Amino acid sequence: MSDHKPKKTIGNRPPRAFGWMAEYSNEHKLLDAARKVRDSGYTDTDAFTPFPVHGIDEALGIKPTKLPFIVLCCGLTGLSLALLMQWWMNGVDYMYIISGKPFGITPASIPVAFEMTILFSAFSTFLGMIALNQLPKFSNPVFTNPRFDRATDDKFFLYVNAKDKYYNRESVKELLGGTQPDSLDEVIEDATPDALPRPIWLTALLVVLAGLIPAMIILNMRNGFSTAPRFHVFFDMDFQPKKKAQQTTTVFADGRTMRPQVEGTVARGQLDEQDSFYLGYDPSKLAAVANTDGVRFVAAQTDAKPQEPAKDAVGSQTPAATQSPAAAGATPAPALNLPWISSLPIEATEENMKLGETKFQTYCSACHGFAGYGDGLVHKRAEALAQGFWIAPTSMHIDRVASQPVGQIFHTITKGQGKMPGYASSMNAKERWAVVLYVKALQRSRNASDKDVPEDKISSIEDLTQPKTEAKK
Amino acid sequence: MGIPMAMTIHKNQVTMATIASASAINPREIDNTADIPGRRAQLITGNQTYSSVTEMVCRVAEEPQPMLWYVLFGFSSITAVMFLSLIGYLIISGVGIWGNMNPVFWAWPIVNFVFWVGIGHAGTLISAILFLFRQNWRTSINRAAEAMTIFAVICAAIYPGIHVGRAWLAFWLIPYPSLNLWMWPQFRSPLLWDVFAVGTYASTSLVFWYMGMIPDLATYRDRSKSPMKRMIYGLLCLGWTGSSRHWLRYEKAYTILAALAAPLVLSVHTVVSFDFAVSQVAGWHTTIFPPYFVAGAIFSGFAMVVTLLVPVRKIYKLENLITLRHLDNMNKIILATGSLVGLAYGTEFFIAWYSKNQYEGFTFMNRAFGPYWWAYWTMVSCNVISPQLFWFKKFRTTPWIMVVVSIFVNIGMWFERFVITVTSLSRDFLPSSWGYFRPTLFDGLMFFGSFGVFMSLFLLFCRYLPTIAMSEVKGVMSASEHAEHLQAELLGGGHPHGHEHH
Repeated sequence: MSDHKPKKTIGNRPPRAFGWMAEYSNEHKLLDAARKVRDSGYTDTDAFTPFPVHGIDEALGIKPTKLPFIVLCCGLTGLSLALLMQWWMNGVDYMYIISGKPFGITPASIPVAFEMTILFSAFSTFLGMIALNQLPKFSNPVFTNPRFDRATDDKFFLYVNAKDKYYNRESVKELLGGTQPDSLDEVIEDATPDALPRPIWLTALLVVLAGLIPAMIILNMRNGFSTAPRFHVFFDMDFQPKKKAQQTTTVFADGRTMRPQVEGTVARGQLDEQDSFYLGYDPSKLAAVANTDGVRFVAAQTDAKPQEPAKDAVGSQTPAATQSPAAAGATPAPALNLPWISSLPIEATEENMKLGETKFQTYCSACHGFAGYGDGLVHKRAEALAQGFWIAPTSMHIDRVASQPVGQIFHTITKGQGKMPGYASSMNAKERWAVVLYVKALQRSRNASDKDVPEDKISSIEDLTQPKTEAKK
Repeated sequence: MGIPMAMTIHKNQVTMATIASASAINPREIDNTADIPGRRAQLITGNQTYSSVTEMVCRVAEEPQPMLWYVLFGFSSITAVMFLSLIGYLIISGVGIWGNMNPVFWAWPIVNFVFWVGIGHAGTLISAILFLFRQNWRTSINRAAEAMTIFAVICAAIYPGIHVGRAWLAFWLIPYPSLNLWMWPQFRSPLLWDVFAVGTYASTSLVFWYMGMIPDLATYRDRSKSPMKRMIYGLLCLGWTGSSRHWLRYEKAYTILAALAAPLVLSVHTVVSFDFAVSQVAGWHTTIFPPYFVAGAIFSGFAMVVTLLVPVRKIYKLENLITLRHLDNMNKIILATGSLVGLAYGTEFFIAWYSKNQYEGFTFMNRAFGPYWWAYWTMVSCNVISPQLFWFKKFRTTPWIMVVVSIFVNIGMWFERFVITVTSLSRDFLPSSWGYFRPTLFDGLMFFGSFGVFMSLFLLFCRYLPTIAMSEVKGVMSASEHAEHLQAELLGGGHPHGHEHH
């Protein structure tokens, strides 16, 4: 019936027969024939049609697909994954604080959860359909006959597979012949399978190899060791047309990008550096002091080194000999020798004393204690922890501190000392002087004798001390 | 068939007049818009058989393309190349080449994004929602509409991608364990929901479109003469045979995809509207936005389908498949959604007055009578007034009029997004920071250029892929023939059909 003439042999054997294929001109004839074939007991049958013919599943005895169940499972997976993802990413791993909104799963998680459910379901529908249909399948026995090409156009085919357990070549031919097909062909193995042309192979190979090149370059750049600077695909703002400090330039004769101060100008705050009110020492007398800038710098550096913990600390096995002399706790830091001013630049009034007290209790007492003995809360806590690296705050009542001029105490508050930071950013100059005033008062009160008390106040102090002395007795 | 009966039994003046005028010019232009009581309306005209449908559709790709195709493709591909070059220039120079400036930082890029996403709604709506409602007329137009959806979503996705500033880092939108960032996206932000919504919509639409094409690609394969074409179409259709077992799972998969895509298509523009509605800006912070945006999206999408399909059916002689009834139905949807959008404009004004919120009230008065009054009234005349022509059947069935109206609708819908975005931002709560947005030349060229990408892709689609879902058209032919057969038997009359296999 067909003009298609397959080769007579494949190698030494005759080509295999896969089954019979009957062609019909419309779907009604196909359905009638399909019912007849089904009623004859054949189960390994199939129909090929240009569009889904309704009733063919019943006519051929095809079971319903389990695709909807697969989609349901994948959709639920998408939903749970979306909720888990949002809960973990924004509720656990990286919590964004936005207007006090709650973390974890909230109504704001709905859109993403919905979209992910749809995404997973849609792809599982498509891929599930493809997989259940065992597609893609480019080599199929039914493709061997060109007549069959009309199965996607306007013809309807019924196929009985030779693998059917009741298959008998002649009786199937007779059965199908009795359904008035337009044509009846035996599906024969194609003896000349078309090999993929060589240029296509080569092109595909070249495309795959060319596709690997960028990946290889990136891999090499990420994992290789090179002293050359990084290769910038996108510059972002890494390279800007500007000069940084310490760089050279051709714009200025001296070749420096950092410019000296223009003569005759005063920078904001610059005059403070010439005023003993802000310095604690008299800058005009600075030249008279033997110390050079270098000496003062070294002194400051040495002083700033953290001191080692006490050598008798429990569990410490560090030999004393290894410690540098400058860091030895017992060695007092070399005194900074500057022309300190020795009289307060502010008035010793009640108001300033109160100001100094407030500031002292705010900033100083945490470490130095309310009375200045170096027994503040922070110190006590550090002692309790006994971690070994705490440096005890200095008591203000030891001779070395008590003998310091007011300018030096002011300087210590301003610039810091050892572990203590400077407080210039927390208190203005007047407040720092007020603290100096208060510290001086503390020092004096802790080392005072009866003679320091004015005559008319002695009686009131005695009143205060009286109960104590009685208790001791 | 059918037509002489319609004229003799039902004296429908409009039908007869239209046939008389149309058939004088074009023998394929047959008016099948009349509804005849007791009779199922014809979906395709001209006594088609299965093979004639195949022939008509495959001819589009098999015959040499008309000169017009080359002219259009040349023009649109040059425009597309210009667009891509401008994107390159944008990446090198930064977003400063646009007119986006304080206080309007969201300007044309977001307007164009929403415009294109909106257009991308018709395809999946036609494929999914009309499928679920058993609207069989969708089979002639769904393929082209789906293709249009994909291409519009591609155009849409470009804009946020290049608007992020450092476009090469746009992949940071995706939640992945980054070694550079050490952080995750913020899942409470509508902008992130957008990434998921548009991403899901684009990929699901692509799958839907491709899956629908598989049987038709097999037809293309089987008709191809050249081995090269046969191989390429063979690869694309995954070796489809038309096996009944395959069809069974395919139909099930199609139904499931339709059921999934129906809520998806509604969710996408809802999420896009959240970009605005979740913020605090007056004129944006309204609960009407989701339905209003979805109606607008369907409106603009159908308008774009009409704009494209009227020339396509003319150029490729597909009037028997994409009949006047299809165009008539689409125009009815345009009329319905256009009126919905008009209602939404009115509701916004009513709520602005009724809420007694002075900022809201000001915003809407400013929209209509402020510095952007011209944009507002362009929007109203294009979106609300022009589709009202479709109350008249004459306008719904005259191809050139519907093309003009559909183009007006899309102009209006672009202005709608412009009005929403720019008027609210340019005058917000603080009068001292008010400003007036002016686009630059690059804004204009890049919007124009996106049409080049869209049209190039659509023309390539017409050239190489099945423009009409042949297998679905044939399936509907079979079903309606079956129904008529049953009806004729019940009525005891003769079969009205003249098909050769009956």
